[in-house]
Amino acid sequence: MKKWVQGLASLTILGVVLAGCGNAAKPENTGGADNAPKGEATKLVISTWGFSADFFNKELYEPFEQEHNVKIVVEAGNNADRLNKVKTGSSPVDLIYLSDYYAQQGIEAGLFEKIDRSRIPNLKDIYEVAQAPLGEDFGPAYTVGQLGIAYNPEETGGKEIKSWSDLWSPELSKKLTIPNITATSGPMILDAASRAAGNTEFNEDQAMAKLKELNPGVVKYYNQTSDYVNMFTQGEIAAGPIMEMYVKDLKTAVPGTKFVTPTEGAYAIMNTVNIIKGSKNKELAEDFINWHLSQEFQEKAAKAKIDSPVNMKVSLSAEEAEGITYGADTILKLIKLDMKFVNENLKNWIDRFNREVTQ
Amino acid sequence: MKKSYLALLLLPGLVFLAAFMVIPILLTVGSTFYHESRFTVEGYILFFKDPYFLKIVWTTLRVSIITTLLCMVLGFPTAYYISRQSPRRKGLLLALAIFPLLTSSVVRSFSWTIILGKKGLLNNTLLSLGIIQEPLNILYTPTAMIIGLIHLFLPLIIITLVGVMENIDSDLVKAAESLGASRFSAFCKIIIPLSVPGLIIGGILVFVGSLTAYTTPALLGGKQRVISTFLYQNAITLNDWYLASVIATIMMFITFIIIALMNKLATKLNPKGS
Repeated sequence: MKKWVQGLASLTILGVVLAGCGNAAKPENTGGADNAPKGEATKLVISTWGFSADFFNKELYEPFEQEHNVKIVVEAGNNADRLNKVKTGSSPVDLIYLSDYYAQQGIEAGLFEKIDRSRIPNLKDIYEVAQAPLGEDFGPAYTVGQLGIAYNPEETGGKEIKSWSDLWSPELSKKLTIPNITATSGPMILDAASRAAGNTEFNEDQAMAKLKELNPGVVKYYNQTSDYVNMFTQGEIAAGPIMEMYVKDLKTAVPGTKFVTPTEGAYAIMNTVNIIKGSKNKELAEDFINWHLSQEFQEKAAKAKIDSPVNMKVSLSAEEAEGITYGADTILKLIKLDMKFVNENLKNWIDRFNREVTQ
Repeated sequence: MKKSYLALLLLPGLVFLAAFMVIPILLTVGSTFYHESRFTVEGYILFFKDPYFLKIVWTTLRVSIITTLLCMVLGFPTAYYISRQSPRRKGLLLALAIFPLLTSSVVRSFSWTIILGKKGLLNNTLLSLGIIQEPLNILYTPTAMIIGLIHLFLPLIIITLVGVMENIDSDLVKAAESLGASRFSAFCKIIIPLSVPGLIIGGILVFVGSLTAYTTPALLGGKQRVISTFLYQNAITLNDWYLASVIATIMMFITFIIIALMNKLATKLNPKGS
C-alpha cells in the first residue's frame, strides 16, 4: 500500500511539473534530413515561420536546390524566438525571414549583412514601398499585407464599419478585440487611435487616452491572429483589426464576414528577408532572395493565397485576388509606420499601455 | 552494503539537480542584485514602489488563495469518501480522480473556453432554461481563471488527502463514539485534525501551482495580468531579462513565505502532528 502511495505522490509531482512547463516545449523543425546529395551540395540555412511548409518546400526551395546544387535547411519558429536564437549565435543561419518590426530589432542589434542590390535584379520589378523598407543596406519585403477591420454584420446591429474611428462606436462595445501592444500590429492601432482622436501628426498622449476610452468594450487583447480567429469563430467577439490574409479563416466559420480597408488607410504589414552577418553563402543567399521576388514564384504564392505579391508584373484575375492584398491602387495607399520610431518608443508604449489603458 | 556507499546512489540525481536547477536559480537570483556592473537592489525598490506591479501581485495572490481554499473545500469530502472505500473501489475512484492530470493543461484550459463562452454550453443552457436573459460574462475574467485552476489542481489535493486519511485509525472514531461523542463531533475532533498534514501539503501544491500557472491565465484570463504572464511579456517580448529575473525571484520568495505560513498554521491546528 505504501509503495502505491509513493507512486501516486511521484505522479502528483510529475503533474505539477507538467502543468508548470506545459508551455515550455516548442517543436523545432529542421525541415528534411541532413543527408546532402552527392557532389557536395552547399548548405543554406533559412530561418522562417514554418507555415505553409509544404507549399514552400515544393515551389520555393526545391527548384532553387536543383538549380544551384544546394541543400536548404529550414529552422522554423515565431519571430521573437528565432531572432533571439540568432542573437545568441546558437544557430548557423544564412537567411532570416522576419516581420519588419522584428527585422528592425535585428538591424539595431547589428545582426544583418549589407545586401548587394546589384545582385538582385528583380528588385526593380517590386513596389517601391517593398524595396528597402528598413533602409538601402537591408533586405526587401517579399510580401506586403494590409491590416484593416473585419466584422460580422449580423452581430454588430447593422452598423456599417468604414473607418478606424468606427471601432469606437457603441454597437461594437463588448464585441471587440484589439491587438495587444506587443503584437506586430499593436503600434498600428496606437497610430490609428491617434488619427481617430483627430491628429494628423502622431500624438502619443491622445492615442493612449483614446485607447483607454475603448478599453471597457474590449473583450480581450489578442497576441496572435489565431486567438482572434478562435474568438470570432466562437462568437466571443464580432469585430476587430486583422490582417487581410486571415479573413479567409474567419469566412469559413462566418460566411457573412466583411473586411474593410478603413477610409484613413489600412496599415502595411511587411515581411522582410535579410542575410545574417558572417554568412558564408552571401551570394547564394542573394540569389535566393532574387528567386523569391521573381514574377514566377510570386504569382504561384499569390494564386495559392499564401502571400500577397510585391512583384508588379504579377497579374491576377479578380477571383485570384480575392482575400489577398493586390494591385497598385491598394498597395500605394497603405500607411507605413516608421519602424525605427516604433522601436525607439516601444518600451515606453508598452509600459503606458499596460498602466494607462488596460487598467 | 555500507551506508556510506549507499549515499553514492544519490550522486547522479544530485549532479543533475545542481547543474540544471540549483546553479541556474542562484544565477537568476544573483543577477538581480548585480546590475550594470554594480551591487544594487534598485529592481526591487522599483517593483515594490510601483502600484501597477503590486496590483499584479495582488491579483495573482487573490486568484491563488481562492483556488486553494475552494480546492480544499471540494477535495476534503471527496477524499474522505474515497478513503472509506474498499481497496478495489478506492483504486478505481483514485484513478478517476487522477485522470484529468493525464491531459495537457492547454487542452484542459482550452476546453473551458467552449463551456464558459458567450455562446458556450453554460450560457446556452441557462438561457434556454430561462434562468438568465443575457449571457453571463465569465470567460476572460478572474472567475474563469479560478475555475480552470481548480479543474487543474483539484486532483493533487485529493491524492494527498486520501494518502493521509487512509492511515487514520478508524478505531479512534469508534472509541470517541463509545465515549459519547456524536458522529459529527468525532469527525471534527479526530478526522479533521489528523488530516491537517495532508491538507497543508495539498494546499501548498495547489497554491504553488496556481501562482506559477501560465497556460490557464493566458487562455482564460482577460485583460487582468498575473505574475507569470507579466514575466513572460518581460522576458520574451521586451527582452528585459533583468526585470524578468527580479519578478522570478519575488515569485520564489512569495512561495517560500506562503509555505512557511502554512506550516506554522499546521502546527497550530495539530500540535502533536508531523
